[in-house]
Amino acid sequence: MLKKLNDLQFVIGLFFTVVSLILLLNVLLASNGSSNLNVYTGACFLVFGLSMIFIKGKASRQ
Amino acid sequence: MSLHFADYLIILVYFIFVIGVGFLIKRKIKSSNDFLTSSRSIPLWITSLAFISANLGAQEVIGMVASGAKYGIMTVHFYWVGAIFAMVFLGVFMMPFYYGSRARSVPEYLSLRFDEKTRGLNAISFAVMTVFSSGISLYALAKLMETILHWDFDISIWVSAGIVMVYTFLGGLTSAVYNEVLQFFLIVLGLSPLVIIALQDAGGWNNIKALLQPEMTHAWKYMGNANDNPMGLHFMSLIFGLGFVMSFGYWCTDFLVVQRAMIARNMGDAQRTPIIAAIPKMMMPLIVVLPGIIAITLMQPALASKGYHIPTTASGELDYTMTLPSLIAHYYPTGILGVGITALIASFMSGMAGNVTAFNSVFTFDIYQSYFVKNKSDRHYLLVGKGVTVVGILISIVTAYIAKSFNNINDFLQLVFGFVNGPLFATFLLGMFWKRTTGHGAFWGLIAGTAAAAITHGVTIAEGKGGWIAPLYTIKSGMGQAFIVAAVSWIFNFFTTIIVSLVTKPKPDEQLKGLVYSLTEKPKYHEQKWYLRVVPLGLLLLVITILLNFIFF
Repeated sequence: MLKKLNDLQFVIGLFFTVVSLILLLNVLLASNGSSNLNVYTGACFLVFGLSMIFIKGKASRQ
Repeated sequence: MSLHFADYLIILVYFIFVIGVGFLIKRKIKSSNDFLTSSRSIPLWITSLAFISANLGAQEVIGMVASGAKYGIMTVHFYWVGAIFAMVFLGVFMMPFYYGSRARSVPEYLSLRFDEKTRGLNAISFAVMTVFSSGISLYALAKLMETILHWDFDISIWVSAGIVMVYTFLGGLTSAVYNEVLQFFLIVLGLSPLVIIALQDAGGWNNIKALLQPEMTHAWKYMGNANDNPMGLHFMSLIFGLGFVMSFGYWCTDFLVVQRAMIARNMGDAQRTPIIAAIPKMMMPLIVVLPGIIAITLMQPALASKGYHIPTTASGELDYTMTLPSLIAHYYPTGILGVGITALIASFMSGMAGNVTAFNSVFTFDIYQSYFVKNKSDRHYLLVGKGVTVVGILISIVTAYIAKSFNNINDFLQLVFGFVNGPLFATFLLGMFWKRTTGHGAFWGLIAGTAAAAITHGVTIAEGKGGWIAPLYTIKSGMGQAFIVAAVSWIFNFFTTIIVSLVTKPKPDEQLKGLVYSLTEKPKYHEQKWYLRVVPLGLLLLVITILLNFIFF
């Protein structure tokens, strides 16, 4: 895990995954029904974050 | 605007990540070169994004949105005239000298090409400029937090500066660069939903064009006469002042951005860094100019039902600096509001950390090591570099309080760039491409250029600024004044350098190999695939840039 944290691509992916989870959980837990904007943005961030984590491009292998 | 738990949580997660990056990088810092130059070990994709992100500070994000609202689409000239051409020129022509000379900084290149006094002059003026820029970023953030979140101005300054200090102190340049890449993604992805939803609310680009005055949606059409466009500029002033002098002066000689290319792993990557960075730079108006244009559209009577307005100052004028924060407050609900606020904080940190890391490299290598304490151990310079990081941030804090007296931070910064960067490009242009240029010529050219900048500012007045000698000439906008100041300073530097060089003794050719175009072996591009070669890539970008100018003519 520590080795992966030295990989910037992984760190960026992890950050956006965490933020997306906050956005999506905020929608699920909010009593007043949050905006669709949070859902769409959260979903996009999640896709971006997981892509950064799991798609190991040439750049990160350098 | 009020934040809720989810918003604060996102801000907290961001702080944890940026400080965490500092701690992770700290273990790799063994020498002063690791701390101050990243030991030339950073991959291309990181150097490219850091290159653009170092320029994506608060003044860029907030200032360009403000300019978009104030001047309309003409603000794209800062990108499609004032950036791409210079970035391509840097990659193709100038990086071979910076990288090939093994200089650790731009002032060090000047010492190799010219002499110590030219280096000292550039190092000191650059150091002053970076702390000004850093302080302005800090001021912008604190003012923002005070206005929209009602946080205490002083506490915002000290807490924000403290976080930047922690991660730059721990990980030096590498930490700053890594965080700049994270900040780049956060700014772009965090503000993209705002652009989409606000554009939709304004009825799309066609509706914007229908509702606004035509000079707000045409980049070039109304520049034949300075009185016809909101910037108050003739197109020749723009092309020479911004497109040539300021643009090339900033992108090709400002160590803050050039440093990001100088830490690449090899010459090829160093050359490709500004060219790859030019791709997102070309698209950046979508994130930082379009929101401003949308904001001013939403205030038109036809869209009054949307309920949006740009805040006003105490005197009743539109406070353009608050355009972006007010858009965020208007459109973002809890959750993504935290992302938007974090993106603003990131833009501040990106700009400030970039300035601080450039400042500590220049101060340590080009001032302290060159003039005060030579031949000490590497550990000594590592400790000095870390100490300078702290001092640089403290000076930035003082500067932030000075910046409180200026209205449009972008205009102010352009003015500072005009004084320092405007004349500088003439020195590099002559130094790199005319081997007859001498150290005396470069030094006195810089002095003459800077003096000319100051005098020009002193005899012109725009928006109440300048005219401190005698307000002989009135210019419509502060931005126009900055272009003219830069252009005059460049011309004075250029001709002074030539005249003094012709009457002083140049360096022998042997000492100029690798530093001057005519005495340097040219890189062999033909061995690479076309998309790895800087010339075809650069030409492709230039063609696209010209097309964009025509599309939005």
